[in-house]
Amino acid sequence: MELETRPETFSIFRTQENDPACQSEQHLGQYYTVPPSHFHTVFPHGLPPRYQQQVKTFNEGCVMVRQPALELISHLKRADYSKPTLRYLLYGVKGSGKTMSLCHTVHYCSTQGWLVLHIPDAHLWVKNCKELLPSSYHASRFDQPIQASNWLRNFRTTNEHFLSKIKLRQRYVWTKRESTEEGRPLGELVDMGVSRVKSSSDVVGAVLKELRLQAGGTEGGFRLAVAVDGVNGLWGRTTLKKEDKSPVAPEELTLVHNLRKMINNDWCGGAVIATLSQTGSLYAPSSAYLPQELLGEEGFDSMDPFVPVPVSLYSEKEFESCYLYYLDRHWLQHSHSQTEEGKKEMIFLSNRNPSVLERLCAFL
Amino acid sequence: MLYFGKQIIEISFALWHLPESLPRGLRGTTFSKMSASITGLLKPWTPRVFLVRWSRYNPYYLEPEPRKEVYHIPETELTPEQKEERELKSVRPIKAATNSVTSSVFNDPVLSKFVNMMMKDGDKIIAKGIITQTLENMKRKQVEKYHKAPEGKKAEIECNPYAIFHQALENCKPVIGLASIQKGGKFYQVPIPLTDNRRRFLAMKWMITECRDNKHRRTLMYEKLSQELLAAFSKEGNVVKRKHELHKMAESNRAYAHYRWW
Repeated sequence: MELETRPETFSIFRTQENDPACQSEQHLGQYYTVPPSHFHTVFPHGLPPRYQQQVKTFNEGCVMVRQPALELISHLKRADYSKPTLRYLLYGVKGSGKTMSLCHTVHYCSTQGWLVLHIPDAHLWVKNCKELLPSSYHASRFDQPIQASNWLRNFRTTNEHFLSKIKLRQRYVWTKRESTEEGRPLGELVDMGVSRVKSSSDVVGAVLKELRLQAGGTEGGFRLAVAVDGVNGLWGRTTLKKEDKSPVAPEELTLVHNLRKMINNDWCGGAVIATLSQTGSLYAPSSAYLPQELLGEEGFDSMDPFVPVPVSLYSEKEFESCYLYYLDRHWLQHSHSQTEEGKKEMIFLSNRNPSVLERLCAFL
Repeated sequence: MLYFGKQIIEISFALWHLPESLPRGLRGTTFSKMSASITGLLKPWTPRVFLVRWSRYNPYYLEPEPRKEVYHIPETELTPEQKEERELKSVRPIKAATNSVTSSVFNDPVLSKFVNMMMKDGDKIIAKGIITQTLENMKRKQVEKYHKAPEGKKAEIECNPYAIFHQALENCKPVIGLASIQKGGKFYQVPIPLTDNRRRFLAMKWMITECRDNKHRRTLMYEKLSQELLAAFSKEGNVVKRKHELHKMAESNRAYAHYRWW
């Protein structure tokens, strides 16, 4: 899929400032284009599916600059990276734009040269797993080879340039004949994880550990951004069952165990940006959106202290901007949708909720 | 203000006095036995159990008006007929509007008819969902083509799914139909003119049966429907073929046209 680069024209809902670092309050409500060259490397797996369809249809990837994302970016700019990591949590009602704000922040981190660890949806690791292998490293844990290898493949696409620079600090033994020596580049470890699917979950654990140790380092130090969507899936219940039909707790999954260690704030030199999500969550009521409700006691205690970032529905200005964008892209085709009456009706039906508006405009 | 109606049995007019003892939400199908005494029949009465399926409103009730523009005309600009109508509406009872009438600007009667025809077992939500997905799919395909096309070709691509739907339906409507008429012991297929309603019905029916029957097991309905509608828009596809075959049959049977007596 080739995304077009357009000649620059002035419009009220678009901004020419495509670099997230230079965006400020004056760009609030305006759309900026993610450069086509960046698109596949930065977002191999993070975007919501409907947004991916939209990008394919409109032949360009435009993201709206909104208040929560700008707030997060300003925190990231001013944080002290020699102190333990700060955790940011995006929360809001269903469809208010949490995942898109997360993707905006991930784009910022990637343009600033950070190493981005983007987990597209933590709920995918606690449900619908066809193969659950008992872990070789730890007797009571379970491995998920398919999910781990998929994630490693996407991780490799996002962070190509870091893979040769980071060297391992420890020797890892996989089987009697295979081991990865100290000083080898991280790329080798990741390639091994992608090709040897059986040990991919342990490879993920090793990668996370190495990155955690080396993130704040003074020599060749890089900043690490851990972006987790649907972080409430890491605590709570899973729908997976062991062979004797007893339920699997999230702690018993290697991937979840290692990710929880990442989210702890006992390392420095980076940030943890997380999003709550009710949509993929298990055993959570559909009206729940606050951190206390979705994370549960255990999750809240692990995440505490965190910086909460509320994501609200579209304001009037943002709604106008979205409406004009759809008009510009020839998406609103119904003759009445281009009138004032139709616009009022769209506001009424969608209540300015971004995802509801998108679904409404899809068939208008 | 959007106006969505509900079906209620309103029988509270003077001559049709509702006794207090009648329970609500009846779906009875049998009359209860009437009392043997004649005195019970002299006063205005309603049966204890009311047939719903063949009930109709008392002709005294007036039709509801869902369009918003009618209510926005200021007092001064009303014609005498409209003033009279308004006064009548203030004294007469009005029927409840059905679920399908809306005051929304996006309401389309042809599309509503299509949704009703596609509906199975009264499940309008699924039928409406399929149609919205179809419209979205058609629009996506066309908009993608539009954005990829060179400047000169952009004007020719029709992106409005509603326009495509209406045009496709027009292209599927037969001009002439066949009726089976018996003459001298044999049945002949006689070409006859069709009313507008019949033509629209046939076009929709063919479209729906085509999409239900001739698709791969794994293709979803909205996908097949969008393919067929786009094909019919450009006068290709199985449905316009069926229309052409009907026309050819009618043309070949024109000798029997005089068997028609209406």
